[in-house]
Amino acid sequence: MNSSVLTTKSKSTIPVFGILVLSIIFAAGLFVVGFDQGHIFSLVYGEQAFTDLYIHELTHDMRHAAGFPCH
Amino acid sequence: MKTVLFLTIVLISGTLAGLVHGTVNFAIVEPYLDQAIGIENQNLFASGEEEDTPEFWVEYEGYRVWQKSGQILAGVILGVSVGSLFGMVFALSKNSLPGNHYVKKSLLLAGIMWATLYLIPFLKYPANPPTVGDAETVVLRAILYLSFIAISGIGAVAFYKLSKRFENNKKIISLVGYGIFISAVFFAMPENPDEITAPMSLVNEFRLMSVLGVSSFWISVGIILGLFWNRFESHKETTPYT
Repeated sequence: MNSSVLTTKSKSTIPVFGILVLSIIFAAGLFVVGFDQGHIFSLVYGEQAFTDLYIHELTHDMRHAAGFPCH
Repeated sequence: MKTVLFLTIVLISGTLAGLVHGTVNFAIVEPYLDQAIGIENQNLFASGEEEDTPEFWVEYEGYRVWQKSGQILAGVILGVSVGSLFGMVFALSKNSLPGNHYVKKSLLLAGIMWATLYLIPFLKYPANPPTVGDAETVVLRAILYLSFIAISGIGAVAFYKLSKRFENNKKIISLVGYGIFISAVFFAMPENPDEITAPMSLVNEFRLMSVLGVSSFWISVGIILGLFWNRFESHKETTPYT
C-alpha cells in the first residue's frame, strides 16, 4: 500500500517585511493585554498612570480568563 | 503572496478569532469572575480595608463596568497579537505540515500551538480568578509563566528541527524527546507562590471555562486563516507528502 498522502505546497515566498510587522504587533498586543500595569499611559500621564491603571482594568477580565497573572 | 494581502488575512483572522474568544468569555467566564470578585469584596470588608458603604459600591460599579466592557475589546487585541504569531508560524511552516487543504494544515498547527503555548503551560501555571493572587508576586508569576511558554515553544521548534534528521518511521523519537524535555522543565520550574484561598469548586470551574474560551480562539483562528489562505493563495500545487 502506498503510504504517501497528498499535501498542498505553496511556491510563494514569505514576505520578510510582513513577518517583521507581525512580530511587532504580537509583542505589543501581548504586553497590552497580559502585562501592562500603567506603563503605556505613563508615557503621557506620568506616575498617575500607575495609579489609574486604565489598560490594566480594561484588560482585567481577559487577563484572568486567558491565564495571565493578575494582581 | 503579496505582503499587504498576507498582513490583511492574518490580522483579520486574529481579529475575528479574538472576537469569538471575547464573546465566549463574556458568556461563560464572566459569571465566575463576578462570583470571585464578590468574595474579594467580602474579604476586603472583613479585613477592614474597605467599608461596605454606598460610596464603595458606586466606585465598584464604575470600574467593574469598565472591566466587563473590556472583555471583548481585550479579546480582539489579544486575538490580533496571538493571531500574528500564528500567521507568522503558519507562513513559515505551511509546506512542512501534512494535508491537502490549507484548513487542515492550519487547524493542525493551531492544535500544536494550543498544546505547546497554552495547555502545557496552563497545567503548570493554571488560570486563577480574582481573589487568588498576591499583588506582591505578580512580577515573579509573570516571569515564570512567560518563561515556561517560551521554553515550551522553543523546545517544540527545536525538536521539530531534530525530527527532520530522522526517517519517517523514527520521527516519533522527537515527539518523545519533547515530552521528556517538557516534563523535566515542568518539574524543575518553581510552583506558583500564591496560596489559593477561594473555594476550589469555584477555581476549578473557572479554569475549565478559561480552557474552553482559549480553545475557542485556537479553533477559530485555525479555521479562518486556513480558509483565507486557501482562497487567496494563487501559486499552489498538490504533491505527494511522504
